[in-house]
Amino acid sequence: MGTPKAALEWHGSTLLRRTVGIVARATDGPVVVVRASGQVLPDLPAGTQVVDDPRDGKGPVQGIAAGLAALAGRAETAFISSTDMPFLHPAFIRRVLRVLTDDAAVDVALPVARGYPQPLAAAYRVRLAETAERLVKEDRLRPAFLFGECAVARLDDDALRQDPVLGALDPDLDSVLNVNTLADYQDARGRPGPEVTVQLFGALARGGDARGTGPRAVRAATVAAAASAVGLAFDRHVTAALNGDQITRDPPTPLATGDLVYFMSADAGG
Amino acid sequence: MPAGGYSGGTGGRPPGGYFGRALIADVTDGTSAILPLPEEILRAYIGGAGLGTWLLHRIGPPGADPLGAGAPLAFVFSPLVGTPLTTSAKFAVVAKSPLTGMLTDALASSQFAIAGKLTGHDAIVICGRSERLSVLLVDGEGTRLIDAAGLAGLSAAEADKRLREELGRGWRVAAIGPAGERGVRYATISHDGRHAGRGGLGAVMGAKNLKAIAVRAAGKVAPADPDAVLAAARDLRARSFGPATAKYRELGTLANLLAFNAISTLPTRNFQAATFDGAQHLAAEAAADDPGSPTDESVAGMRRVARSSCASCTIGCEHIYRVGRGSKVRVEYENVFALGPMCGVSDPAAVLAASARCDDLGIDTISAGGTIAWAMECAQRGLIDAPWLRFGDSAALLRALDEIGDRGTPLSTPLGDLLADGSRRAARTVGGGSQAFAPHVKGLEMPGYEPRTLHAMALGLAVNARGADHNRSGAYEADLSGDLDRLDGGDAHVAAAIETEDRAAVMDSLILCKFLRGVFTDPFAEWAALLSGVTGWDVTGAELRQTARRIVMAKRVYNIREGWQPADDWLPDRLLTEPLTLPSGRVAALTPQRLRAMIDAYYKARGLDPLGRPLPSIGSDLHLTGASDGASNGASDEG
Repeated sequence: MGTPKAALEWHGSTLLRRTVGIVARATDGPVVVVRASGQVLPDLPAGTQVVDDPRDGKGPVQGIAAGLAALAGRAETAFISSTDMPFLHPAFIRRVLRVLTDDAAVDVALPVARGYPQPLAAAYRVRLAETAERLVKEDRLRPAFLFGECAVARLDDDALRQDPVLGALDPDLDSVLNVNTLADYQDARGRPGPEVTVQLFGALARGGDARGTGPRAVRAATVAAAASAVGLAFDRHVTAALNGDQITRDPPTPLATGDLVYFMSADAGG
Repeated sequence: MPAGGYSGGTGGRPPGGYFGRALIADVTDGTSAILPLPEEILRAYIGGAGLGTWLLHRIGPPGADPLGAGAPLAFVFSPLVGTPLTTSAKFAVVAKSPLTGMLTDALASSQFAIAGKLTGHDAIVICGRSERLSVLLVDGEGTRLIDAAGLAGLSAAEADKRLREELGRGWRVAAIGPAGERGVRYATISHDGRHAGRGGLGAVMGAKNLKAIAVRAAGKVAPADPDAVLAAARDLRARSFGPATAKYRELGTLANLLAFNAISTLPTRNFQAATFDGAQHLAAEAAADDPGSPTDESVAGMRRVARSSCASCTIGCEHIYRVGRGSKVRVEYENVFALGPMCGVSDPAAVLAASARCDDLGIDTISAGGTIAWAMECAQRGLIDAPWLRFGDSAALLRALDEIGDRGTPLSTPLGDLLADGSRRAARTVGGGSQAFAPHVKGLEMPGYEPRTLHAMALGLAVNARGADHNRSGAYEADLSGDLDRLDGGDAHVAAAIETEDRAAVMDSLILCKFLRGVFTDPFAEWAALLSGVTGWDVTGAELRQTARRIVMAKRVYNIREGWQPADDWLPDRLLTEPLTLPSGRVAALTPQRLRAMIDAYYKARGLDPLGRPLPSIGSDLHLTGASDGASNGASDEG
């Protein structure tokens, strides 16, 4: 495509920045990016750990092994995602991870969505790092080899959609759509941003454009875009809360369909 | 630390912005003395809360009963008072708290600060106990006591009005209401409608049989570099009109309420929840702006009928609200939180009436609301025989306030007397497990910031010298910055709690209003420049950071002297054992293990031992040699 996928522009951000942000939003733990040795990456959120893949060209199991190894001792489970899924939704990640939370006997939660297994949109036990590493050394590089050595729970479309949140917010399971060609990318980029609801609090609600206090539906792929959509300058005096939970002042923080975005004064002095 | 040629007392000139002396007034016999303040002490503690802490070490007898004659009550000014720097007309009132038994320092803003400082003193410290209810007068003619029998039982505002009418032009008054006279342990000291609110300073003053202190300017004090200070004042003034203070200008701190409700940070029904169904009724955003006639009753709910500023302030955070024909009430987030959601009350008329009642009595709204909310839960559980005292009942809230205010009068009730001592003492009396949900730290009731969803703030509240306090530890800033996960307290939260505590220590000693903090981009360096211009010292940001650490440590050392124990740095059990579930589905759990880990890390970073006591190496930096002996305060007689 002329540009590494990780650096492809996505509504003022990049595909990698978006993916990292979505994964961070859906999980409580650290986020690790595995890159080819020396690969230049676009800007990432503070706290993102970058590790080099020790062996280039060994395919997804090598990336899985490197990522899981980097999480050893810090997490028991991990969601592993490729960087080219711009519609990945936090609800999808939570749904898949919940399989491992609910059943200690399962090692991998593997979505089989839109007709294909999705090993790079799946959840893994971190302890599988050693198995994956051994498989790479044995030159058994397909994910199927890994799945053959552990307990895998497969989630088809119906199983995924049974999650009421995911079923409502991503009924077509666009979460697993990836962009492999320039045309894929252009099609995806041509879609409007996700529909989110914005609400302003305090003095922000009294600013220009007669903003008001009521919730407003806007299309925005990032927090900065949501602020802009309601005529708000997202500067150091403003903070955003996503779904009443996560707080951010980072403009490229990605949004997903159904998000509630609260903007309030950054100064909470009382 | 260069000290120039001034060493306190009569030798040399004090630094710019200072008189270099404190007035020690003994209201037992009306005499007074001067305590010289050496330059090294002024530079080490600056003024306000910092200098007040040093004075308490220096003058306060160890182990003194805070309501006894021996306990000093210090009104402490600062080098910035009297300059054109916006928000600088502030002072600190510092004493051993009758609520916590530890140090408390409440700040307030008014012309009292300017007139008090221009009596020629950097601090006025009151000791002793007057034989009868009195007013202490301080001006260029010295100190004297006048009888205050005619002011007994009056609100602070009414006492202030009558005294100024009687004394004439130029006098400024800080007074207590009836609650201070009657020993309510969270009574306030008020002046110009502002309050030194937390920790029961009004009770300390009342225990001295002092209804008021009146001050009149008698001298002048100049900054070392007037041109630099004027330029800085113009710059700061311009910045104070910018977006950093818009919240305070446009809606005031009440703007927090709806936002906090949206992010599950609004303590509700004695911390049984973190969101409140009735929040919208109390929201600043929902209030109409002065709709024509002030008596217009066609507008439902709260109306914002006026806005004003403290002395020397360009922000103007003070918003006056009214419901129907009810009282006009100065509304802050904290009084609405404490008397509204905390007690389950959503009727704005009731909340404003309760706020007005607190002002009339002269009691801290946060402690009042917290203590009543605890009592409501006790009644709900059958631990207190007061079936009328129910969450959400406006009449019950007002009745409880009345009973608290009736302490020591013929109308006194056992319940009112119980609640007048605050939630910690009351829970010890009631027992039955009620201590687990008594909403206090060190005896000071919790402010309106939910610790389970603000983990940096949780640490700040636990370790703060004053107790559960949002102004000495503003760690919520970090929780709401997005730089860390507010539900996952760890090392970053510890660092943030220390940083915000240090910033508060300096702002409270300079003194500048914290509502101004957002205009500073490099705060320690900018504050150092302001202090340098006023004093003539060559202060750096690094020096101010060290000053901050010293002040925080000196407060802790004072508390240790007065009986602090490691268990005092902790939070109510409820907050550690009852997780909250956010609307997003995330669980907000602040476990004992997590809090312990953060406290341990805080101790280590502060240079404390594992039990929270200073390491020996810290002592020499505190300039406390010769302090705390309680035998001689080094003051010379003045009159």
